[in-house]
Amino acid sequence: MRKLLVLSGKEVLVTFRDVGALLMMLATPLALTLVMMAAFGSGSSTPISDIPVLLLNRDEGAFGQRLADVFFSPSVGNLVTATLVTDETAARARVEADEVAALVVIPADFSAHMFPFGVRAQELTGLDVTALASDTPLTPEQQAGLAQAFLQSRTPANPVVVEIYASPDWRISTLVVKAIVSQGLEQLNVQIAGTMQIISRLMVEMAKAGREPADLAGGLQSGVAAHEAAGLPIKLSITSATGRGFSWLGYYASSMAVLFLMFAVTSGGRTLLAERQRGTLPRLLITPTPPLVVLLGKMGGIVLTGILQMLILWGATALIGAYWGYPVAVLAAIVLLVLCASSVGAFISAWARTPGQAGAIGSAVTLIGGALSGSFFVRWNLPQWVQYLSLITPNAWGIEIFGRLQAGRAPSTILPWLGGMILLTVIYYALALVGFRRQFK
Amino acid sequence: MTALVEVQNLYKRYTPGGAYAVDDVSFEIHAGELFSLLGPNGAGKTTVISTISTLLRPTAGAVRVDGCDVQRDPMAVRRVIGVVPQELALYDDLTAYENLRFWGEMRGLHGAALQHEIAEKLALIELADRAKDRVATFSGGMKRRLNLAVGLLGNPKLLMLDEPTVAIDPQSRRYILDWVKRLREQGVTILYTTHYMEEAQELSDRIGIIDHGKLIALGTLDELIQLVGQHEMLSLRLVQETGGAELATALGSVAGVIGANATNGEVLVNVTSVEATLTAVVAVATGLGLSVRAIEIHEPNLEAVFLHLTGRALRD
Repeated sequence: MRKLLVLSGKEVLVTFRDVGALLMMLATPLALTLVMMAAFGSGSSTPISDIPVLLLNRDEGAFGQRLADVFFSPSVGNLVTATLVTDETAARARVEADEVAALVVIPADFSAHMFPFGVRAQELTGLDVTALASDTPLTPEQQAGLAQAFLQSRTPANPVVVEIYASPDWRISTLVVKAIVSQGLEQLNVQIAGTMQIISRLMVEMAKAGREPADLAGGLQSGVAAHEAAGLPIKLSITSATGRGFSWLGYYASSMAVLFLMFAVTSGGRTLLAERQRGTLPRLLITPTPPLVVLLGKMGGIVLTGILQMLILWGATALIGAYWGYPVAVLAAIVLLVLCASSVGAFISAWARTPGQAGAIGSAVTLIGGALSGSFFVRWNLPQWVQYLSLITPNAWGIEIFGRLQAGRAPSTILPWLGGMILLTVIYYALALVGFRRQFK
Repeated sequence: MTALVEVQNLYKRYTPGGAYAVDDVSFEIHAGELFSLLGPNGAGKTTVISTISTLLRPTAGAVRVDGCDVQRDPMAVRRVIGVVPQELALYDDLTAYENLRFWGEMRGLHGAALQHEIAEKLALIELADRAKDRVATFSGGMKRRLNLAVGLLGNPKLLMLDEPTVAIDPQSRRYILDWVKRLREQGVTILYTTHYMEEAQELSDRIGIIDHGKLIALGTLDELIQLVGQHEMLSLRLVQETGGAELATALGSVAGVIGANATNGEVLVNVTSVEATLTAVVAVATGLGLSVRAIEIHEPNLEAVFLHLTGRALRD
């Protein structure tokens, strides 16, 4: 045990004294995370298609239906596949089961908040004021009703909330849904502003004709201006089924850390071959130390280095706002991920002939694995078959696990993923052992 | 005398059906003896050391160190040996002290005993004042000395040095040779491999000459020289840069010439008597249009032995 610790300690010491290795292990992933954050912001948005969305419209007015209609409009195209629902409990359960990306809940008093004048005017005159044109002929009763509606309508003090209840597994899709709702609200607002302008003009004409008091027309004009200045009395709220949404910063902090962990461990594995070439490995093998202890000590050093690297990157990115998840679960995931990554490093070292060959293979495996598993592009946007294929890499398991933890998933939900990663570790280490036996026969 | 190392009919080949790197080699090294394996590059010296040190498994034959078989009980063998490999097997990013501490731990030393050994070895190689400097900042000679000190950690019963003076400056070489002599005086059993005839002559109690994996001669320096009888050796330096090989071939038919070989701008001629053959040798050179710039007459040495046994110069 003592020799194992001495060997591992030496490995960590040698690695952390190598400026080039530190640059690769720590500085580069941090810099890339910051670049990605600068490019995408710490929030998120991305194109995607056929996102399954549920719509629950509790509003009885025209505006709730119009907002719902946005999801079926040609401008949205095939971005989403929306379904109108009435059973809220069942709809929320479907979100929680990750069957759909989100549930959009349009509240009962949505129209009343959105356009209180229009609702009151319809009640008093039967007119849909949003359908009025500047030359629409109005009866004196309708004109009086509009004036009365204006005087009686007041913008509610508290804005109403349109809720997007989102699945944590549909991180990017949630943001697309949010964008569509925002766009719909904006369209409704523009429509309301246009209607108010028309009504204002009608009132001015009525005042000129002496049919309505001049102060009413003036008041209407100032009311229109106030409406435009106040903005929407609607608040948009995204509620994740787990309480956490997607964050570019969190995503790239963990995916870059995983990518550069792979660089570090494959490079660490290469040092085994380098030690053989330099003569230190043969020298170790003729000390009274069992060869298995030498190998375990070497791998132990690589694993320790990887864990330190991940802990430093976790801490550093947390300082700039990245959330990684429940700490104990993150720690467990880091340890198992590093073991898994080190198994790939060992596998490459065991089958490569020279340090140069191991370096080239290690870089190729790391970069291709990174691309397949989502280190460069958001994993959940990749085709399904690529997502499955990428499960041969530790990167994919790491990104999946950290993604779940970052979305606020309970630690127990990552257990099957940790199990899968352990299985992958065992497979790669078994293959590495075959290679090492062949090398040192 | 007690045999600390017994090598019996050792064979080693790296690939099944391939050539033997070591071909039926047998010898013993007695306790307190300095035994040299002398041979050109690729002769099989390192393979022999690697087998004795348990790094390689013999294809056939038996090797015992301090009574322990290298295949059956490699850990027991490793506990009594120290190896100074040809490569500088050190960690450049660690300091001299850290290297000694690491390798000491690997040999099973720790605590006060390890600290004592480190201090002793640093003093021995005269690097105590550079103990905290990284090895990467050391000269080649300093690294060689540290490489030697690592091999001595734990005061092994058998120290094996594999060409320790390759590619170093004359001053460091001298230092190492003197150091090996001191170890021998202290009673350390040493297996020393080299392709430098002078080193083997200067250091060894006994010498094994190895070529193409075979041990072709074994004995003390005097015993080996006896193999070539009372022969002498002529060394001819030619004015011309070419023609040496042609001269060596032509000299083969001269009466009294036992063998001749051209190498590194000189022609080595093994003769029964310098007096009887010198005139004829020069005449052959002149006949070939070659001018002799200098002639040296050597007493019989290992070079002559090797030439006598193989028909080639040791440096070929």
